[in-house]
This record gives sequence, structure tokens and C-alpha cells, in this order.
Amino acid sequence: MKKLLLLIALSLLPGCTLVDAYMLTHFDPNEYKLITDIRAEAQASKGQCNNAVISKINADKLASDTKLFQLYSEHIPRNNDMITASKDLNEIAQGLSNMYAKETKVSSGFCTIKFQSIEQSANKLQTVLGGRPR
Amino acid sequence: MNVEDLQSQLGQCYNGSQDPNVQTAAANANQYTEMFKQGQMTKDEYTQVMSDIARTNEINRSADNLQVLEYMNVTINALISLASAVA
Repeated sequence: MKKLLLLIALSLLPGCTLVDAYMLTHFDPNEYKLITDIRAEAQASKGQCNNAVISKINADKLASDTKLFQLYSEHIPRNNDMITASKDLNEIAQGLSNMYAKETKVSSGFCTIKFQSIEQSANKLQTVLGGRPR
Repeated sequence: MNVEDLQSQLGQCYNGSQDPNVQTAAANANQYTEMFKQGQMTKDEYTQVMSDIARTNEINRSADNLQVLEYMNVTINALISLASAVA
């Protein structure tokens, strides 16, 4: 009876998804540390948007750290979803850094939204990375 | 079609979807548009935060895919353990 239930359960899972799920990339403490740092930096930075000098430094640091996260994720096998997400996260952070490089005045609201957006996305990715199989 | 019509469409997206990601995206787009209308953001800033909504949606999609696979991974390993116990 148990064998029958097992066969039924396995037959209900779609083939490719089954393989993807079984071969899922394992937990990587370095990748997890990188995304945790990004989240913590973004969380601290969003409260400093009234100071343009500090915010520019924060924006440059986050652009650099999200790039590191992207490059670190890039060659981990079977990691396509995280590669796509890390690239998007870097684009969000790089946009803020570019704005500080280009404009003499960046609005406080824009700065807060950008850091908040990075923090929320990093939180989502941290949840997924933390849930990977050990 | 003017800005108010588009904002009304965002409201319909917010009310018509059960997906929290869609609701957050619609609420953010509406908030950013209001800020731009009130002069709290420049055109470049507004364009960038609106583009970020699409990037955030992509991040959410990738994360949701991975969460499903993680759940399935746990299930598969549980089934393998069950099979080992039966055999």
C-alpha cells in the first residue's frame, strides 16, 4: 500500500520540475552572508537619506556589494533563478549610485524608495537562500 | 488616456488580484506617480523607480520559483525516506 502511494505521488510530479527540485543547489553560507550584508546595509542606509554625502557613499557600497553577489552566484551550477534575481538586484542598486554620480541633487524620497526596494528584495532572496537544502 | 485613467487601472489591478506581489507593485506605482505629480521626484527618478517595479517583479518571480522547488525537494526526500523504510 505504501509503495503504491509512493508511486502515485511521484507520478503526479512533472518530470523536469521533479529533476530540478531533486538536484536543487544546496545551501551556501557565503552566498547567504552576501545577501544578509546587502539587506543590513540597505536597512541602515534608508534612514540616512537626508544626508546626501553619506547616501552617495552608501549607494556606491551597495552597488559594489550587489555586483559581488551577482558575480558570486553566476557560476554556481543549477542556479539560474538566483542569477537572474541577483542581476536585477544589482541594476536597482547601480541605478541609485549612477544617479548620485550624475545629479547634483538627489531627492530624499527617491533615495528612501531605492534603499527600501533593495532591502525588500534582499529579504525575499535571503528567505529563499536560507531555505535551501543542507 | 491621461494619468488619472492609468492610476485608475492600477487601482483595478490592486483590487482585482489576490497576488500580494501584484498588489504591492500596483500600490507602489500609484504612490510613485503621486510623488512625481507633487514634484517630490524628478522625471529621471520617477522613470527609474517605475522601471524598478519590473525588476522587483522579476526578483519575486525567481524567488517564488525557488521556493516551490525547495518545497518539492523536501517532499521528494521525504518520499525517498519512506521508500527506504518500506523496502
